[in-house]
Amino acid sequence: MNGIRRRDFLRGAAAGAGVVALAGAGSQLVSGCSAGGGEAFSEFVPFSLEEMKKLLDVGLSKGGDFSELYFEYRISGSIGMEEDIVKSSSENISLGAGFRVVKGSQIGYGYTNEMTFDSVKQAALSAAAIASSSGKGTSADLTVETPKHKLYDMALPLVKQDVKSKIELIKSAYDAAKNYDPRIVKTSSSIYDELQYVTIANSEGLLVSDVRPQTRLGVSATAEENDKRNTGYWSEGGRVGMNFFNKEKDPVQIGKRAAEEAIILLGAKNPPVGEQIVVLSKDQSGVMIHEAVGHPLEADGNWKKQSIMHDKLGQMVANEIVTIYDDATISDYRGSLNVDDEGTPTENVPLIEKGKLVGYLNDRIGAKQLNHKMNGHGRRESFRHFPIPRMNNTILAKGDKDPEEIIASVPKGFYAISYQGGMVDNTGKFTFSVNTGYMIENGKLTYPVKNATLIGTNIQILKEVDMIGNDTGFFLGTCGKEGQSVPVTCGTPTLRIRKMTVGGSV
Amino acid sequence: MINLQKIAEELVQYAKKQGADQVQINAGRNSNFNVQVREGEIEELKEAGSTGISLKIIKDEKVADAYSSDLSEDTLRKLVDNAVKRAQYTSKDPNSKLPELEKLTVSPESLKLYDESVEAEPPENKIAVSKQLEKILLSDKRVKVSLGSGYGTSYGEKVVVNSNGFSNSYKYSSASCYVYGQAGEDQNNMFEDGWSDTARAIGKLDPPEKIAKTAIERVVRLIGAKKIKSQNVPIVFDNTMASSLLRFLASCLYGSSIYTKRSFLAGKIGEKIAGDNITVIDDGTLPARPGSRPFDSEGVPTRKNSIIENGVLKNYLLDSYSANKLNMKSTGNASGTTNFYIQPGSTPQEDIIKSVEKGLFLTKTIGQGTVPTSGDISKGAFGLWIENGRLTYPVAEITFSGNLGDALKNIETIGDDLDPRRSITSPTLLVNGLSISGL
Repeated sequence: MNGIRRRDFLRGAAAGAGVVALAGAGSQLVSGCSAGGGEAFSEFVPFSLEEMKKLLDVGLSKGGDFSELYFEYRISGSIGMEEDIVKSSSENISLGAGFRVVKGSQIGYGYTNEMTFDSVKQAALSAAAIASSSGKGTSADLTVETPKHKLYDMALPLVKQDVKSKIELIKSAYDAAKNYDPRIVKTSSSIYDELQYVTIANSEGLLVSDVRPQTRLGVSATAEENDKRNTGYWSEGGRVGMNFFNKEKDPVQIGKRAAEEAIILLGAKNPPVGEQIVVLSKDQSGVMIHEAVGHPLEADGNWKKQSIMHDKLGQMVANEIVTIYDDATISDYRGSLNVDDEGTPTENVPLIEKGKLVGYLNDRIGAKQLNHKMNGHGRRESFRHFPIPRMNNTILAKGDKDPEEIIASVPKGFYAISYQGGMVDNTGKFTFSVNTGYMIENGKLTYPVKNATLIGTNIQILKEVDMIGNDTGFFLGTCGKEGQSVPVTCGTPTLRIRKMTVGGSV
Repeated sequence: MINLQKIAEELVQYAKKQGADQVQINAGRNSNFNVQVREGEIEELKEAGSTGISLKIIKDEKVADAYSSDLSEDTLRKLVDNAVKRAQYTSKDPNSKLPELEKLTVSPESLKLYDESVEAEPPENKIAVSKQLEKILLSDKRVKVSLGSGYGTSYGEKVVVNSNGFSNSYKYSSASCYVYGQAGEDQNNMFEDGWSDTARAIGKLDPPEKIAKTAIERVVRLIGAKKIKSQNVPIVFDNTMASSLLRFLASCLYGSSIYTKRSFLAGKIGEKIAGDNITVIDDGTLPARPGSRPFDSEGVPTRKNSIIENGVLKNYLLDSYSANKLNMKSTGNASGTTNFYIQPGSTPQEDIIKSVEKGLFLTKTIGQGTVPTSGDISKGAFGLWIENGRLTYPVAEITFSGNLGDALKNIETIGDDLDPRRSITSPTLLVNGLSISGL
């Protein structure tokens, strides 16, 4: 409600997350649901193919062009540690069905958490009301499809691991942060895991299911010295299971990074303000690409002619060294999907090639309105929401410069390392909030800085990117748009922006 | 219709039988309707009803939580069984206990949180108002693009039952509408803003003409906005922006931020943290107001709490856990702030602007940029430049920065325009000591 028009990106747990849980201690609530195999559709869907077709027909009964069922069963858990003790554990079950009817570009939507034929039929009737004629369209027979991608690590989903092993993970991360430095006064760590089963059926005959794991281990550490306090944060995760923390990302390193940031911030000053050269480090600076490029290229703002990019397809919108794409098909990544929430196979979608705008992030309606192909970017937060075009893993391609060389090239400027997040509106005006950075003087990092906001307009800033590193890093985030939060990542190499406004204290 | 209170009461009994020492159940039901209109056509129509239950069990001073949107008895019982088992893995914490049973200070009915008009309003009317809002917005030729207008209604019931004998529920309703647009002369330099309104009853919403006019005024005044140079000047926060400053203050007052020391206000009770002119109150007992509720999610009655009195920090926003940690009493804020506001002054906004020789009238911000641990603020800003007490040209692509702790001590003037239609609300404020960064 309230016409939420802005798009934001937050690190850390977003609203809604954090309250969730683990099945580990007990058994799973709904049996079956065997993951990812080739089964017809997940067993939590209590309807036959014929019943689903009947419901899809109800959706078309008022003259709609297209109807769609979305079933979701999500089991999630979280465990949290604070003040040296395990303080919380929770288990969440979300079960429900959403029903969408499309007429032209108009959307009717209903949903229910009662999985009975009558309740879902009521949702279908609510959605059907978007059309007002007495159409008698019938839906095609449903054909089961199996997603061609297999992008998730399904070996040991955390939802199915025992509580004790998850407590060990957060404890080692917690201890690493706490023992990093005597100035660390408060630490907390938590792990979130979920397994989301979705089944999508539509009036064109598509029937596809996907089982998606998601996990994240995060640590927050507060350092105190001379009455000054600062908090650092780090997290790792993705569509992975236990092996990720055992083999790839050591929880100890996650804890250390959070503590390291808090300690650096103790010595941080406010940056000098005004326009200057800005270097973005590889680790988290993808948030700039997410705001400046990703959101303005989502199909909806473009076919509605609201986005600053809507009339720029085929034009140069960035310096020619800039290439940007959104790839939802990277194995194990937080933003990856086998199929999107409309059942469309995901793709690696080129957005900007050598400075030229070449594509948008399309959902079903957007593709039709723009007369483009669908490319697997229709996403939704849950069965309570209809899909809208969204990002997955948004990436600025590597360049050829040594990161050291980029810093060395700056006589005086600002080096941004970590962020609270960013925000953009349709007009392309964006900010990102820097948590930690350094000043650069004569090609060398000098003192740490904090509390800075970088602000600009996307088409100006993209043209100011003049050096791109040969490294790359990824930021795990939760993206908010129109009241819906979805997990994403964004990645960049180290890069230099010739001129950008840095806000801080004069 | 299923009886949520009965399900909750039975679940408390079941959990006790399974070995829980203490149990708390929160249940809710909600029906909502939303329509969005763009370019004269309905763009989105959404209607649904849903229910959900969350539970907390405590066994041997160890806690476990769960939530479900599946209300089948099997699932709920299994969640209880799992929670009882899982509690053994959390650590003993004597601060985890249910609040003692207290009498309500106000009855749910007297708060007027529910109004039948919301449930009864026909969809056609809501669609008509949405269309009218957009039509008025676009009738101003300076507005070039509609970002959509809409109308939403929501009503339902909240239930809290616990094993200390609390069992109560209340009904609520709300209606809201909005309209947003873009204005500007250059396709590459457009500006967007708009306006919305919310009320507990249909008849209490402002007329569409008034809402759309405010939206037009807020967006067209940004046309042609430019960057200005970096400097330190007084900033006049219009009442919406002052409210967002107050929202940041609220986030620094939550008990969980205090006992974890993730707030610059930790340990500051009884200290002077703001100017003598600042009094901040949280009051959940005001009839028909958006933040009112008879009790919080733990069944603790809401009340009128003085948070800051003439600049002195008197209290935090506490649930029972953080209250126990801090050796204080729950303030009835387990569900967050209620109606949280700065006591208004007597100066009209235009007189505040007149009093400023050179400064910024802040009307819109963008970005996160608030850090409770330190109180630091840094956000993108839009507004109008003040010269010799008069609003001159619009400004954009600048940021303002500073520290909330300093700002609270440097509020020179407090306006008279407190908007009771919002739950966290402040009148216009004139604040010194903040920086603007631009060119």
